[in-house]
Amino acid sequence: MKVLHFKTVPSTNAIAKKYKKAPWTVILADEQVSGYGKGKRFWYSPKGGLYFSIVLPKTKIEDLQILTISSAFIVAKVLKENFSFSPLIKLPNDVLINQRKVCGVLVENVVSKDVKSSVIGIGLNTNIKSFPDNLKNKATSLEIELKRKVPNKKILNQIVNNIRNQL
Amino acid sequence: MSNQAHNALCAWSLTISNMKLKLEIKGKTYDIELTEFDEKVKIEVNKKEFVFNQKEISKEKRIKVAKSYLPQKRDFKEKEIKSPIAGIISEIFIKENQPVKKNQKLLVLSAMKMENEVISDFDGKIKEIFVKKNQKVKKDQILLIIR
Repeated sequence: MKVLHFKTVPSTNAIAKKYKKAPWTVILADEQVSGYGKGKRFWYSPKGGLYFSIVLPKTKIEDLQILTISSAFIVAKVLKENFSFSPLIKLPNDVLINQRKVCGVLVENVVSKDVKSSVIGIGLNTNIKSFPDNLKNKATSLEIELKRKVPNKKILNQIVNNIRNQL
Repeated sequence: MSNQAHNALCAWSLTISNMKLKLEIKGKTYDIELTEFDEKVKIEVNKKEFVFNQKEISKEKRIKVAKSYLPQKRDFKEKEIKSPIAGIISEIFIKENQPVKKNQKLLVLSAMKMENEVISDFDGKIKEIFVKKNQKVKKDQILLIIR
């Protein structure tokens, strides 16, 4: 697995879009200053969280649509297996723990006649101690729920390997 | 092959047995293959096959074939950009009459939380836009025309 590790990026999806010729490259960042979800909505991405994007190989657009949903399932499965959570999937692309968002998935494609490039971005709130007031009731992290730190690298490997098996 | 049928088939009067040719019309290449077998004539245009029984070839049929084969004039100048998937137009970056370059972002189509940036695959000018922001679209719906 080829991982390009950045300290600070605007957004991992934006970087991943530049690597369309190197499928399965993983763009990992310690923090995102302009992290976003659907509709360019801000995704709070301070240090401690797990923010990464995967450059996807050329795939049919219908298969990519399924990938958004299956990625949310994969994250939920990894959280369940490692930490015995019972996460809820808010279809199609968010994962919740105790009714608060812990993970978001965003697939972005560039298309003309066919799919030119695709990336999948995942933001997982792992080691985030607390959230600003406007997010406290909507977001949570694994650290808040477990009251301990979790290994980001191990979680990253498990999620990426599971996604690879999907395509 | 009778002379009559031969003339009906080939206005440029070539002997058919097994012939391949390329025609280039306004930059687009057409691979044409003519084959004769069992009293029939097979014409392949860009891998599309048409088989004619020589005896049945009439003037009417010839005209019909010619019409369906000659690409309409507009095909060379205009291009319809179609929706690759059902979804909602979440952003439009261009206006009518605006010149666009190859790979320029035209609009964003959101589908099941997947964001699809639709780009132009050639240089041209936006002739007409058929959709508005937040409009639902079906797969293969024509979104805009570039010429």
